[in-house]
Amino acid sequence: MKRIIYLTISLLFIALSVQAQEENSFEKWGPTTGLKGGGFIARVGYVIGGTTPLPLPAEVRKINGFSPRGGISLGIDGYKMFTKRWGVSAGAHFFWEGFHTEADVKNYYVWLEQEGEITKGYFTGTNITNTEMWGVTLPLLATFRMSPRWNVSAGPYLSLYFHQTFGGEVYDNEDGVGYLREDSPVGSKILMTRENPTTYPDDFPEKMQPVALGIEIAFDWKAMKHLNVFGLLDWGMTDIWDRNFEAITFKMYPIYATLGVAYRY
Amino acid sequence: MNKTSILALVVVPILLGSCIKAEQENTECDIETVSLHLDTPSDFFYHDYDTIQTVISTDTDIVFTVRSYASVQRIPTTLRVTVGATVYVVAEDETITPFLNGSLVDYSNDKVQRFLVVSENKVWSRRYCISVVHDVASEGNLSMNFENYYLDPSGKYYIWEAPEVFTDGTWKNGNPGFKISKSSAKPLDYPSTPVVGGGPDGSDCLKLETCDTGPFGRIAKMLIASGSMFNGVFDVSNALKDALKATQFGTPFTHKPVLMRVWLRYEPGASFQDREGNKVEGVIDEPDAYVVMYRNEDAEGNKVQLDGNDVLSSPYIVGLGRLPHHYNEDGSDKLSNDPIHGVTNEWQEVTIPVEYRAELDADELADKGYSLIISFASSWGGAYFKGAIGSKLLIDNAQLFCE
Repeated sequence: MKRIIYLTISLLFIALSVQAQEENSFEKWGPTTGLKGGGFIARVGYVIGGTTPLPLPAEVRKINGFSPRGGISLGIDGYKMFTKRWGVSAGAHFFWEGFHTEADVKNYYVWLEQEGEITKGYFTGTNITNTEMWGVTLPLLATFRMSPRWNVSAGPYLSLYFHQTFGGEVYDNEDGVGYLREDSPVGSKILMTRENPTTYPDDFPEKMQPVALGIEIAFDWKAMKHLNVFGLLDWGMTDIWDRNFEAITFKMYPIYATLGVAYRY
Repeated sequence: MNKTSILALVVVPILLGSCIKAEQENTECDIETVSLHLDTPSDFFYHDYDTIQTVISTDTDIVFTVRSYASVQRIPTTLRVTVGATVYVVAEDETITPFLNGSLVDYSNDKVQRFLVVSENKVWSRRYCISVVHDVASEGNLSMNFENYYLDPSGKYYIWEAPEVFTDGTWKNGNPGFKISKSSAKPLDYPSTPVVGGGPDGSDCLKLETCDTGPFGRIAKMLIASGSMFNGVFDVSNALKDALKATQFGTPFTHKPVLMRVWLRYEPGASFQDREGNKVEGVIDEPDAYVVMYRNEDAEGNKVQLDGNDVLSSPYIVGLGRLPHHYNEDGSDKLSNDPIHGVTNEWQEVTIPVEYRAELDADELADKGYSLIISFASSWGGAYFKGAIGSKLLIDNAQLFCE
């Protein structure tokens, strides 16, 4: 988490120093006409990130693998500048995002209910998670022009999910350790292997919230008259799970970044 | 792979990796193995391998059986426990003192020594009993009526005692595995249950029924559970990983069985299904009942314990008797709609003769070199999750006759 803050701050400093050397006027790179006014930005980007508990619980011992799934974002923002430096923007970003992780866990509490049957206990071994989400993010941002060519925008967003998947399986880790202690650490030890993995129940997606709230921070760099290069971060502030979902005991937040290009009009 | 994926592979694990917290102390507190150190193990034990016992996770009562004439005093004992756990000896007045591996433990006069194992994080603990008992010579013929049963400590399922029959004193079955998949099941919903007054003579009998394992069974691709009853070990640890390994058949036996007589009643379930749960037309489920004698030590002195993989095919088998069944030419199981086991929905006494493919070595027999298996199941293919839900095998008054 600290690294992300450092990264943001350093980007800000770089942007500000660029400003000092920047010869071009605010007007040249401004909205279509002059310093005030507005327009549209059509964005296409690559989305990458994950849905994660924050901070990572101590039960997670090692992340062995991570790969993105999906990763497409198409969006349009309308913006309006009120002064030389300040303005607002709002838009809709359609996304398909997701990821796959493989993590070693120790004493990871699981509580599964299926058709009234309950299996619970503490799992040690490898945990695989796959999730994908299709939806639209609606940001409402304040925009600050750090320099003629650099904009930073920040504000809240609302995400609506059209479709979500959340699956995975558990089995033994590279050292051959994989087991559930039923009910408690002194309960029956049930061994698990990758030859016969145990999969997550398929009703997990039904237990996911259809909406999410979060904070978006976006950096736009005006590369050409109509072309922006941008990077934005959507940091979810609401748990992806229903409040009464007990299978996963910690809250999980979607944190996804988008890198891409935009047409500015 | 494109550049952003590579970037993600590098950046995201670093971001997440940097957030990994310090490892928490272990919460488990198991005795995993118990070893007794003896200069001349063969003076005490029938097999050298009997000096070390692997403790399954559900067991807390560890019993070593020694020769009837062995003089048991104080024996150096080593316990392997969960990493970080501490072991204490519990005295009669409940005071505890730390136990050091290799210390002398007094097992004389059938003393039951109690141990307390405390987890590394000091939150969890388990109590164990270790004892060394003298073997009681078996008379040979066995009579088993399934009338001594009680609920397990969790109150979920029944356990049957057979103290005069098997060295460890209990019958085994798949009930502990069924408990994992069907937490809502009541004791009489399990695959192996007693029937009060249900026997042919009006006494209690045993009912084995092939059951649906429910949603978790489907997740684990183990759709049904055949009712079962056998002597040996049911290691629930392997129930998901390798179900055939969970059923470890047989206990040492010092006589040569020639036949089993048992009262049986059978009603096959309506619809036979394969491992994937597909209905198989034209197949009627069948019960299984068998007696096996096998050599329990290999040429190198290692323990031979048959499990679901080789209980009827192991080269260590010397004698076998089983209910009649159709087989393919290669000896494999043949499914049919024309069972020949002869067991009907009316009580009848069935005789199962034991046929020997080799002579038993009398010295080895006396020295517990052979193990006996007595096993019943409500579905013939139950070990492979094939059968008909609702198949019921009722069993009572089994008798094993020996030479």
